[in-house]
Amino acid sequence: MIPHDILTLYGAKGLEYVIAIAFLVLFVPFWRYAMGTRPAPEPAFVRAAQAAPAHSDLVEWFRVARDVFYHPGHAWARAAEAAGAVLVGADDFAQKLVGPLRTIELPAPGTAVRQGEPAWRLHAGDKALDMLSPVDGVVTAVNREVLDNPDLLRDDPYGAGWLLQVQSPRFAAQRKGLLSGRMAHRWIEDATNALRLRMSPDLGLAMQDGGVPVDGIAQALAPEDWDRVAREFLLS
Amino acid sequence: MSSRPATLTSPQPWFTEKVLMGQPWAEYRRNLFTPFNVVAALILAVGILIIVYRFAAGLGATTNLSQTNPWGIWIGFDMLCGVALAAGGYTLATTVYIFGLDEYHPVVRPAVLTGFLGYVFAVLGLMCDLGRPWNLPIPMVYSFGTTSVMFEVGWCVMLYTIVLALEFSPAFFEWLGWQKLRTYLLRATIGLTVAAVMLSTLHQSSLGALFLMAPTKLHPLWYSPFIPIFFFVSSIVAGLSMVIVESSLSHRAFQSRVNHHVDMDKLVLGLARAASVILFAYVFLRLQGLADSGRTDLLATPLGLWFLAEIVLFAAVPCLLFAHGARTRNATLVRWTAGWSVLGIVVYRLNVSVVAYNWEAAERYIPSWMEVWTSLTLVTTGILVFRWIVNRMPVLQDTNGH
Amino acid sequence: MRLTRRTFFKLGGAAGALTLAGPAPAAAATSKVPGGSMKAVLVDTTKCVGCRACEAACAEANGLGGPELAGDDRVFATPRTTSTRAFTVVNRYPGHGGTPDRFVKRQCMHCVEPACASACLARAIEKTPNGPVVYHGERCLGCRYCMVACPFEVPKFEYESATPFIRKCTFCPERQAKGLEPACTSVCPTGALTFGTRADLLLEARQRVYGSPEKYAQEIYGELEAGGTSWMYIGDRPLEKVGLPASVPNVAFSSLTQPALAAVPFVLTLWPPLLMGLYTFSQRRKGVDAAATTDTHEVRHE
Repeated sequence: MIPHDILTLYGAKGLEYVIAIAFLVLFVPFWRYAMGTRPAPEPAFVRAAQAAPAHSDLVEWFRVARDVFYHPGHAWARAAEAAGAVLVGADDFAQKLVGPLRTIELPAPGTAVRQGEPAWRLHAGDKALDMLSPVDGVVTAVNREVLDNPDLLRDDPYGAGWLLQVQSPRFAAQRKGLLSGRMAHRWIEDATNALRLRMSPDLGLAMQDGGVPVDGIAQALAPEDWDRVAREFLLS
Repeated sequence: MSSRPATLTSPQPWFTEKVLMGQPWAEYRRNLFTPFNVVAALILAVGILIIVYRFAAGLGATTNLSQTNPWGIWIGFDMLCGVALAAGGYTLATTVYIFGLDEYHPVVRPAVLTGFLGYVFAVLGLMCDLGRPWNLPIPMVYSFGTTSVMFEVGWCVMLYTIVLALEFSPAFFEWLGWQKLRTYLLRATIGLTVAAVMLSTLHQSSLGALFLMAPTKLHPLWYSPFIPIFFFVSSIVAGLSMVIVESSLSHRAFQSRVNHHVDMDKLVLGLARAASVILFAYVFLRLQGLADSGRTDLLATPLGLWFLAEIVLFAAVPCLLFAHGARTRNATLVRWTAGWSVLGIVVYRLNVSVVAYNWEAAERYIPSWMEVWTSLTLVTTGILVFRWIVNRMPVLQDTNGH
Repeated sequence: MRLTRRTFFKLGGAAGALTLAGPAPAAAATSKVPGGSMKAVLVDTTKCVGCRACEAACAEANGLGGPELAGDDRVFATPRTTSTRAFTVVNRYPGHGGTPDRFVKRQCMHCVEPACASACLARAIEKTPNGPVVYHGERCLGCRYCMVACPFEVPKFEYESATPFIRKCTFCPERQAKGLEPACTSVCPTGALTFGTRADLLLEARQRVYGSPEKYAQEIYGELEAGGTSWMYIGDRPLEKVGLPASVPNVAFSSLTQPALAAVPFVLTLWPPLLMGLYTFSQRRKGVDAAATTDTHEVRHE
């Protein structure tokens, strides 16, 4: 350090005090400036195919989205932008249970679906299983991208992996019978416990450590007749 | 889409599945010939020759270092900037594990990986610069120059590289499927993070403290007893900015590996807010250093103007742009500002080590092309290794591993 | 290196610093002079005639292959610095308006608290109790930090070699161990170089300088510079004008980094409780948030 003489030192130290006070005075307004934000712009209507990723929580091993309503058969429904339109899909539990899909059979637009009745079919390995529709209505659109690339269902089951758009005028009433929020969390926990009871020691060790569940839990549990296990959960 | 789960298809050999990403060798080899890879291979081919030549013929034959300018860009850039830009490892680990801000979890693993690779390649650059690198174990094992800042830097960098390796190892073990080891190391996360912050505080500041030994050689505006504080605070900014830059590039380059659930824009805006507040304090710290130097008369000289430009253009401007971008939710502005901020960190460290150092000497140092090419080789190799790891190990996916 | 370590502890201000008993064990006259009992050299530039016998003796004693342009005055055309092949050089500074030329010998200053020794991470440069600052090549990493640290630009690096060493004047410790003078001082014909203890030489320098103010500039270069050097210079011209570095701070350079190093134990001690406190606080906040929103299992940090 280059030593100063005492005369310039008064000036230098005085300047330092001034700078420090200036900093303190300016800090609070700056903090408020940096931390504040303008209100988020109103979300414009987006094509259903580019639906924003849903906010989700991790419950045990499975993602549970916050803004959807679940049918006990592990299908979900969410109101879309247009009046009466509902997006429908399979939840994370279902896709992890069944595992990588060969293909998905979706109903053509115009088909009527009823809550609790089979609406679409998943093909994995050499087996096929149906999933139940969560709402009543008429199919107005299907997600073509999921047909071409079933992995979308695994990567983003609540967003880009949606399956059907259904015109469901009575959705507001019907969704009261569906699960959401804390109830949905509890339901997934119960399902997970049910799975745990069936775990073989090898699989169990991996899971209890918090590892990623094997894709295709049903197949890992019962390689020969995994569709029977899956149907127990999917209620189909 | 990358590797298929081995449960469904017939099990592939380990090498094919893990290393070749499930592609047969012929297909993998074919896919290697991208423009980027060809350019990188050329850079490496020449670079390796230069490095061999450097060790065969000595530093005089390959660098423009001299008796008056003993340190060049291998110290000024590879070491000082490499270490600063790798600071994302400890800043993000602190954010997620100490401050408990879980929403940043998706970027902590890439930050730790960037940190680890940054340090590895900074150390490799140092090996090229040392005249007698084979003596490296000596101050580590039996001859301890404890009065030396360089000693502290060496030890801290060595220990911290180990800490980073341990912090990254859960991802490595997930790749190999070694669950027990992975869980065991996950438990050490908090301890490793505390160690990381301690060691980083020490060596980030000490890299600046090295120059305290040169009061007659470093320009009075840059020479300050507070250099260690400036280096440490700017390293935090460097880490945050680098994480923004790296995540933006990774998400474009590695589309298939990324977890699309994550709202990266929101994370980037959050990091920008933190960076802007820290830069705000940093600007005032530098002004304090200016006052303390008692040499405000030098501001009217060319170097003095460059000093002001460094603070205004490369610290105050990114501070305001980060804040504005975060306020207006302009992630694009924030990303460009992050790149500018990274540049600012590099400028500061090059100023201290090369521009303001020996500012009065007649003989100025300009790096030789071989020095530049070596640095380029190290950076390219680092990128290639980063890409290799990200393509195979769970780094970008944010699995529920921590 | 007792002196350096003692100063480190004092300046570092570490809590519970060891107290070392008393002043340096030396004769009463030397007790006030830093390095007073160590060997030193007084260089009186008014007496040097530029014969360069010192350069020749040094080259021979160290096996350096002879000074360049021996006996040839063209060597004085521009001031030289020491090099890996020349541990000492004599430079000429032309006289003005009738004053004679002055010749100044340059070499390692063998500082009382050398910056290079304090900078070396492997203790490859060390200050010996007798005075010489010695270099141990077998420990050297070639990092060149000593070159950055030295304000006199003394250490020179063998850039041309693939196994480079630092090279500099050694102060002939082997000769001194045998009771001889260093090679250079032993051959100086005019008495420009006087070998003795630092305290004695400082006294001698003061007598000459203050005793003959018309003959000498009123300064002793190396008395205080860099905390005091063993090679001290007096002359009729200000010594900054004859090649010696100007504005070298009058502090031992090791004291410049000691505050930074002193912070190390504090960081190592304070950071863990600080960080763990923040961690506990943030975990508690998250626990409160979790209980408030949902009672299901949240993401667990292991």
